[in-house]
Amino acid sequence: MIVAERKPLDEIKRFIEGFERVLVVGCGGCATVCLAGGEAEVKIVGSALRIAARKEGRRQEVLEDCVTRQCEPEFVEQILVRVKEEGVTALLSLACGVGVNFLAERLGDIPVFPGLNTKFFGATAEPGVWVEMCAGCGNCMLHLTGGICPVARCSKSLLNGPCGGSTDGKCEISPDVDCGWALIVERMKRLGTLDQLAEITPARDWSSSPHGGPRRVVREDLRELAAEAEENSAAAS
Amino acid sequence: MDIDVEREAPCLVACPVHTDTRLMVEHILEGRYEDALDLLLEANPFTSVCGRICHHPCEESCRRVKVDAPLGLRQLKRFVVEATTDYRLRRRTPIERTRREKVAVVGAGPAGLTAAHDLVRAGFGVTVFEAGPEPGGMLGTTIPRYRLPYEVLREDIDDILALGVELRTECAVGRDISLEELRREFSATLIATGLSESRTLGVPGIDSHGVLLALPLLRAILAGGGAPLGERAVVIGGGNVAIDVARCARRLGAAEVTMACLEAREEMPAWEWETEEALEEGIELAPSWGPKAVLSAEGRVTGVELKQCVRVFDEEGKFNPAFDEAETTTLAADSVVLAIGQAADLTCLKGSSVKAGPGGRLEYDAETMGTSERGVFACGEVSTGPGAAVEAVADGHRAARAIAHFLDTGEVLKQPPREELPAIGELPEETVELIKARPRVEVARAPGETRVEDFSEIERGFTEAEARAEAQRCMACTTGAFVDEERCVGCLTCVRICPFGVATVTKTAAMPEEKCQACGLCAAVCPAAAIALKRYGTERIEEDLKRLLSEADASSSSVLIVSFCCLFETTSRKFLDENREEVAETGVARVLVPCVGRLSVPDILAPFEHGADGVCIIACAEGECLYPTAEERLGARVEQARRVLEEIGLHGDRIALWRTQESAEVSWTAFWEMSRRHLALIKAEEQKEAQ
Repeated sequence: MIVAERKPLDEIKRFIEGFERVLVVGCGGCATVCLAGGEAEVKIVGSALRIAARKEGRRQEVLEDCVTRQCEPEFVEQILVRVKEEGVTALLSLACGVGVNFLAERLGDIPVFPGLNTKFFGATAEPGVWVEMCAGCGNCMLHLTGGICPVARCSKSLLNGPCGGSTDGKCEISPDVDCGWALIVERMKRLGTLDQLAEITPARDWSSSPHGGPRRVVREDLRELAAEAEENSAAAS
Repeated sequence: MDIDVEREAPCLVACPVHTDTRLMVEHILEGRYEDALDLLLEANPFTSVCGRICHHPCEESCRRVKVDAPLGLRQLKRFVVEATTDYRLRRRTPIERTRREKVAVVGAGPAGLTAAHDLVRAGFGVTVFEAGPEPGGMLGTTIPRYRLPYEVLREDIDDILALGVELRTECAVGRDISLEELRREFSATLIATGLSESRTLGVPGIDSHGVLLALPLLRAILAGGGAPLGERAVVIGGGNVAIDVARCARRLGAAEVTMACLEAREEMPAWEWETEEALEEGIELAPSWGPKAVLSAEGRVTGVELKQCVRVFDEEGKFNPAFDEAETTTLAADSVVLAIGQAADLTCLKGSSVKAGPGGRLEYDAETMGTSERGVFACGEVSTGPGAAVEAVADGHRAARAIAHFLDTGEVLKQPPREELPAIGELPEETVELIKARPRVEVARAPGETRVEDFSEIERGFTEAEARAEAQRCMACTTGAFVDEERCVGCLTCVRICPFGVATVTKTAAMPEEKCQACGLCAAVCPAAAIALKRYGTERIEEDLKRLLSEADASSSSVLIVSFCCLFETTSRKFLDENREEVAETGVARVLVPCVGRLSVPDILAPFEHGADGVCIIACAEGECLYPTAEERLGARVEQARRVLEEIGLHGDRIALWRTQESAEVSWTAFWEMSRRHLALIKAEEQKEAQ
């Protein structure tokens, strides 16, 4: 999932200063699962902002909503309708950055602010702890490294590690951080494939990663179907 | 399992009149004793009686039995009655008659009067004919006063009569007025004459002086008389009537009282607790003995000869005792009382075409409750055979439905003799282990030897504190967590937090209700707000705040505190009832929650939105919480809420967390005072900072 964390409320408060009617929008996807931006967090943020406005004697209305996923046109439609019908003057999105972008593109002259800091693609290590496991580099090489990603889990994203900063399985950046390459070596020992590491991974083409510019994925089959449906409905009307 | 079927708490299912005892307990906990009484009387007009003598199948089915002991539901019911005497008088109102038809009820026992109650409430005119001088049937004439004082029975009867039921006492149908006359005058007739006669035995010597029948004897004793039974009395029989007779005999001065019954000790049909009480009162049991002959000298009883009973029921389960005639024993006795069964007095049928049926009872259709004649119905023991008081009440309700239907449509109504409801499943062993044991609140009775000195009531009711302590033991079956599948994202937080191992997630979360203990810890942390609770629903806090707080209180210069308090720590209603005026005066709005461990961060913050200056959470006393981990979880949520306040520039310690000391009444006021002073300082400090 995409893991995010709520921004400090004083920062959020500054974003929405001066806006009369603010809608806090949660996301029922990853942001809920990582306890950062679901229905419950919307209530907390909404409540905190109303308390702050009350305390500071500001006139600011804070409304709440939560959609199934903020990254789908059908799901955000209800937000666009509310914004229009209820005269919302600013949005605070508690989704990952995707949700903020997605709403921003659809909101015309209404600003949308991020309520979360989007952190990484990760997993639940233990209840309440999430760790990064994928960097979304666009060219997966996990088959070469025992299923453990050097791009995401080595602090330097080395393709042929470890570096000299690895001590007792920990990375030199912090004793709390595992050395990604130490994990890879241990894993491949167990798999009996350690010898594969003798092969040098050549420098890779990073254009599939964010360095190559904004990326997109297209499924032609679905696209054609959608276009057909649109044509049919146009013909029918 | 069909998940669409709404399942009920086992106590409700087991009760013949389906009293919602679970909800009664909730009302008691919330201090709504009057609502509890309304609920009880709606299900059972003989609530006072059942609070004293019900055989409480509700308790027998209570799922708590697996943990420690069932809830004392009968005593709780009695508590409700005793706590609401004034209210009960106030709620009495006659019912307006809206129907032309009149119904005659023969017999003013629990079955007949319940039917009369229901029919009057349905708008019909009802006249009850009672042969005796007072209404109440067997409850009034044969249940000893030490178990059921007459004034207690009268509370129920007076309620019923106040509705507008007409009662004609000392009017025996079949003697003073005929059934046929009733049939001409009334649109329907209900025979509910019970089983008022005792059966006798055909053994040698039975006609001796000093051989008595149980029910006439009990009637005489309750009427204030009763022949002296001598020093030594033998009661033949092992049922509840036999126990009553034996215990009365002790009270009448018999020094040695022995009960001889066919059944083995563990087969005795009397309720076990009554047998235990009889033993406490010095009564001897002679189980597995049947009467062979009554011994006498000069026509007067001297004893009874008994033969060993080797079997009471045959292979088909039918009553068919077998004896070892060679094995005999003799008990010396000055009197012998026969309590071996009851029979109907069918005098009321005299001169009528309504037919008697098998067993000396009425010919009767168990489904339609009709007799052999159209428009004549029967209910209670005269048709069903011997049963408990609450079963007679249940039958009275059924009869009223059957008669109302008949008068509405001219047709008979088929009803199953007993309405079976689906109950939630058994408490699984793995859940049992996680539930904290809490001893049942027992009311001590006087020692047996003092009890037998007179006929005064042997048991006292719960005090308010005892009732509340007992009510807290309720596991609140069926009122636990449920999931809104539309909202659930399957994040597993509930699974990870549930202290009872209830929650599971496949695609979405599920909380099987037979396991859930309604602690609310999952709902408090669900990030999707997808979990709700049936008891003290999640929206209740917001409603309570709106009810208690007004803008005016919030804008006043004094300190306004919202105090979330653990409902389970209250030993009285003192802190349970509150209104705006009181809040304005004291500056404290109390919101009582069944375990504050269920408060979510938004719950804790909500009062500030309503203008409160501070929140004062009072949890239960150290180590008292019913729910494992709830205290730590609450502590973490309080910290989270404090951080939120700090992030928006308010002092985190505007939120205080206290633990009850001893009880609510003892410690809470002091906590509020300390919070008030602390908040006044914080407010002053924040104002200074702002300048």
